[in-house]
Amino acid sequence: MKTLLIGEYREGKLLESTYELFGFAAQLGAETALLLVGSESQLPAYSGTLYLAEVATCGEYNPGLHKKLVLEAIQKENPDYIVFLHSSYGWDLAPRVAAALKTAQISEVIAIVPDGFEVGCCNAKMRRTVKPNSAKAVLTIQAGAFPVTQPGGTPQLQKLTAEGSATIEFIGYEPAEAKDVDLAKAEVIVSAGRGVGKKDNIPVIAALAKALKGELGASRPVVDAEWVSHSHQVGTTGQTVSPKLYVACGISGAIQHLAGMKKSDFIVAINKDKDAPIGEVADVLVVADVMQFVPALTAKLAQ
Amino acid sequence: MKLLVCIKQVPDLESRFKPNSEGLWYNETDLAWRMNEYDEYAVEQAVRLREEQGEGTELTVLSIGPDRVVEAIKKALAMGCDNAVHIQDPAAACKDPWQIASIVAAHAKDKAYDVIFTGMQSQDRGSAQVGVTLAEQLDFACTSTIVGFEYDNGTITAKRELEGGIKGVVKLKTPALVTCQLGLNVPRYPTLPNIMKAKKKEITAVAVADLLKEGPLATTASFHPPAKKGGGTVLEGDVGAMVDQLIGILKEKTAVLR
Amino acid sequence: MDFELSQDHKVLQSAVRDFVEKEIKPIAMKIDEEHMIPDTLVKHMGEMGFLGSYLPEEYGGAGLDMLSYAIVVEEVSKACGSSGVLISAHTSLCSGPIYTFGTEEQKKKWLPALNSGETIGCFLLTEPGAGSDAGGTATTYRREGDEFVINGSKTFITNGGYLGTGVLLASFDRSLKHKGITAFIVDLKSPGVTILKNENKMGIRGSYTTAFAFDDLRVPVENLLGQEGKGFNVAMDTLNGGRIGIASQALGIAEGAFERALAYSKERKQFDQPISNFQAIQFKLADMWTSIETSKLLTYRAACLKDAKKSYTMESAMCKMHASETATFVTKEAIQIHGGYGYIVDYEVERMYRDAKITEIYEGTNEVQRVVISKMLLS
Repeated sequence: MKTLLIGEYREGKLLESTYELFGFAAQLGAETALLLVGSESQLPAYSGTLYLAEVATCGEYNPGLHKKLVLEAIQKENPDYIVFLHSSYGWDLAPRVAAALKTAQISEVIAIVPDGFEVGCCNAKMRRTVKPNSAKAVLTIQAGAFPVTQPGGTPQLQKLTAEGSATIEFIGYEPAEAKDVDLAKAEVIVSAGRGVGKKDNIPVIAALAKALKGELGASRPVVDAEWVSHSHQVGTTGQTVSPKLYVACGISGAIQHLAGMKKSDFIVAINKDKDAPIGEVADVLVVADVMQFVPALTAKLAQ
Repeated sequence: MKLLVCIKQVPDLESRFKPNSEGLWYNETDLAWRMNEYDEYAVEQAVRLREEQGEGTELTVLSIGPDRVVEAIKKALAMGCDNAVHIQDPAAACKDPWQIASIVAAHAKDKAYDVIFTGMQSQDRGSAQVGVTLAEQLDFACTSTIVGFEYDNGTITAKRELEGGIKGVVKLKTPALVTCQLGLNVPRYPTLPNIMKAKKKEITAVAVADLLKEGPLATTASFHPPAKKGGGTVLEGDVGAMVDQLIGILKEKTAVLR
Repeated sequence: MDFELSQDHKVLQSAVRDFVEKEIKPIAMKIDEEHMIPDTLVKHMGEMGFLGSYLPEEYGGAGLDMLSYAIVVEEVSKACGSSGVLISAHTSLCSGPIYTFGTEEQKKKWLPALNSGETIGCFLLTEPGAGSDAGGTATTYRREGDEFVINGSKTFITNGGYLGTGVLLASFDRSLKHKGITAFIVDLKSPGVTILKNENKMGIRGSYTTAFAFDDLRVPVENLLGQEGKGFNVAMDTLNGGRIGIASQALGIAEGAFERALAYSKERKQFDQPISNFQAIQFKLADMWTSIETSKLLTYRAACLKDAKKSYTMESAMCKMHASETATFVTKEAIQIHGGYGYIVDYEVERMYRDAKITEIYEGTNEVQRVVISKMLLS
């Protein structure tokens, strides 16, 4: 079995998420070849065939040309699966390749299962197992669903070129806007509850949020006590959130709080009380004093 | 100028989903239906363009599905679309994205649309394929996941939402298709007078058999809930040891420490 | 018989629901706490057409039917009973009688501003000494040239505090009882109108309930609504229609409380299981839902009868009575299901309980509704 993996470059850099493609291929037990529209000055640590097209001539976002490059690599490699990340680059390019080949595309694969690929649906509440009807298939894999795997080595370069007038003109990037807290979009939220003790301790929780590249959240009592502004409040009277990681610090888990965060992908609760209701929804319950555990965790993460 | 916006009717995502008797999709009993959220942004953007262009511009809304999807169509009409096409298909949920795109393409191929708007994905199926595939089938210029849209004399300037809040700015010439991301605009509410006016707008019904010429490229083997979370792990004891254990778990089970 | 809403009504219902979810629900608690519906919300509801749903398009209404109106009031009241009664009193008790009894000139003059929400309507019937007994009206008027001059007082006037447009009942000869009553359209910003107070109430605290004094309020003769001495008919017909509005409000309040109780019963755990596993809770839910469904059938039916221009006096009395009693029953049980949390403002069911009670009282107490129903049965 053979896969053609499509890596990603952005703003002159190879994206780390490219290595998740290798994690997927390893789980599939498949041979790999990699295609990158990038630069020879930044090659991945990989010892297989690397189809490289110059980003200087092909652009970072030029789906028409990139499609041609992928098709050319497919012709040379004859892979069973053409694998993209399910990202703004991948979900934009994959259907174009699939349509050109008239082959199945399976989007946002989260697992490899015996009778096909598992994908999420219905807001991640449900799963579907999907199998291609075609000999080849285009796949996009969910970010974070497969482990980052660095194969190591030096790639065997095969340079590709493509020409043609672009149907899309790429003008440039706009940096992310500096925002006040938008918990709904945060991937990581670290929330403070009454167990934090006092207002002066809030910076300790905020520091953990920063270390995890997340936002500071809070339970209602903490907001009511004006330790933290209302825009940080998680729960029925605050915001309903579903980040990839939710860390509840000193939050016992009143129902109105649980209702606002229980759909988070992964929940860590730090609480002195082993029987606190937050434990019912937590994936990991750390039984500890928040003010002892959190600074230790933050320090370790900083290393 | 001719505009098309494609919408899907989806269940309220707060619902509890149960597999249907074939185990291939959800059971539709007792679900409340609404317009796919992404499509609301698409409709709003299409209506804004329609309003900017004024007389001589026609905006059509299209949906595929059983009779109930007319409710979503009527909402789009109340938001400002001029007329509608309802492709009648009680079995739309069994079709794969390739077939859905093919059906729309068969409708659109001789209509000379200048701009087609779709949602970036549906909330229920979430394949994020139909819009881009449709553009390929029609040979339209296409960009996806837009959070900004401007039109000027045959050229669209769009902002794509990339990871981490960065935006990519692109220009494309019509005929073009854009897939719309949440936050592109603020979709208007259909007002009661506009709901009343929408009752008089034309909805053309087309049987799906007249448009569908393609078989599915992928097959759903099963529809099921995720494997149940086991009971949570409880860490107790030395703080330093627990810190290491937790970091290990986070590395293994989440993507946030990578 | 078909008990399904039409596709058009479903579209309307879901549009109103979306608006309510995003614009009203988040501020319902604040409306109660601050005793006020923000002007921005009133304006927004006007723009949405909520304040002129069943009035014809030629007068700036949405041109929908009575059933649509009932759905609007119901959906709004699910989140906020105060906002629900604003719509109900405005539409049924002010725009309604102007449309039904007004001349073409009056409709053209008054309805567009009412339907857009530029002015908020109220109905000035109740007095310190006269509630459902309209014949006891003590506010009097006399004619002076091209004007009527009104003196007296009114109390419990929903929406009165907006000082908008009112339909006012006054007598030219109290000894004639109900035969001496006449209806007028009044601009409450006129000289001679004094707000005595806006009442501080148990529930629907965001809604104005105003007491007025009228001291030589001068109304031009063209503001006479219907004929002199026929005001009692105006009042009775208006209250009939108004009952559908209040039934819808009560129905909405009950549904709002039920939704919360149902969700809470599935979330709240005691003895290692959700309390919805307990039959004590299950039976409550069954009773609550059955009452809600019967209220809804009665209310929608009364609205459909009015749309079909059939008699609906008994049906409007029944739906008002049943829906209001459902509202107090369901909100009370919703608190019970929430236990101690239900008694706390955060969970909102206590507000709904307070909001519900008035629906048994205003627009004719339920005792009066029973009189109406039984009279018709026995006549």
